[in-house]
Amino acid sequence: MKISTKGTYALEIIVDLAMHSEPDRLASLKDIAQRRQLSEKYLERIAGMLKKAGLISSTRGAYGGYCLAKEAGDITVLEVLRAVEGNLAPVKCLVYSTDCGIECEKCPTRGTWGELWERIKSVAESVTVEELAARAGEK
Amino acid sequence: MKISTKGRYGLRALVDLAANGDNTTVSLVSVAQRQKISLNYLEQVFATLRKAGIVKSVKGAQGGYMLSKRPEEICLGDILTALEGRFSIVDEPESEKADDNLRKTLNEMVWDRINDSVNQFLEERTLAELVENYRRLNMQEGNMYYI
Repeated sequence: MKISTKGTYALEIIVDLAMHSEPDRLASLKDIAQRRQLSEKYLERIAGMLKKAGLISSTRGAYGGYCLAKEAGDITVLEVLRAVEGNLAPVKCLVYSTDCGIECEKCPTRGTWGELWERIKSVAESVTVEELAARAGEK
Repeated sequence: MKISTKGRYGLRALVDLAANGDNTTVSLVSVAQRQKISLNYLEQVFATLRKAGIVKSVKGAQGGYMLSKRPEEICLGDILTALEGRFSIVDEPESEKADDNLRKTLNEMVWDRINDSVNQFLEERTLAELVENYRRLNMQEGNMYYI
């Protein structure tokens, strides 16, 4: 049960944007890739997903680039992870019915997986991009 | 972010085994029938659980598996660690690469916190609690266990 590099890099991109861009001072993917030492191609794919989720916005052209689409304090880690990882549930049956052979109401484990998921969500929901940027900036 | 089939089926089967055997062996055939899991797969899973010291096998006519400790003494973390390895929300190598402030911050404020919260839950929750819950769910349907 893992968050993939998509999830970890998405957080890096968005915190980097919170630290290094403004609506009137866009950051290019090339700059982000250089600061983060990540492949620009891969970042482009992830940035596309973050844009689609309405978390960042982009402008094309010579002075184009990326910035946050809303206040950093209004973006939680959970939103960022959901934008790129899709459904974060540890087991599928928490989200949609699966053909596992037994009824959910009688399942010995479904409730427990649900509690585990709540733990993950509540931590991810409690941390904002603003807090991450502030901490990363003060180190 | 998924719990593997081994973790899902393994835990389900173990709760079934604990609910249906109190100091008596339970045959994997009966667990397979109740939980609709293939016997072949269960045999693999229980071999892993036996190596981890969670269940023991008894050979012979009345043979089968039983818990090797009381269900109060087995926590969810023991079971999942045996079936999946220790829980970590991100791969370890990623956290070792934390050579800059942003990655260090993500480790401290996100990944470590999630790991701590989940691992605490896994250590607190015992197999006995899952069994109790399972019995309650199934009793509502009038399905009594004779234990």
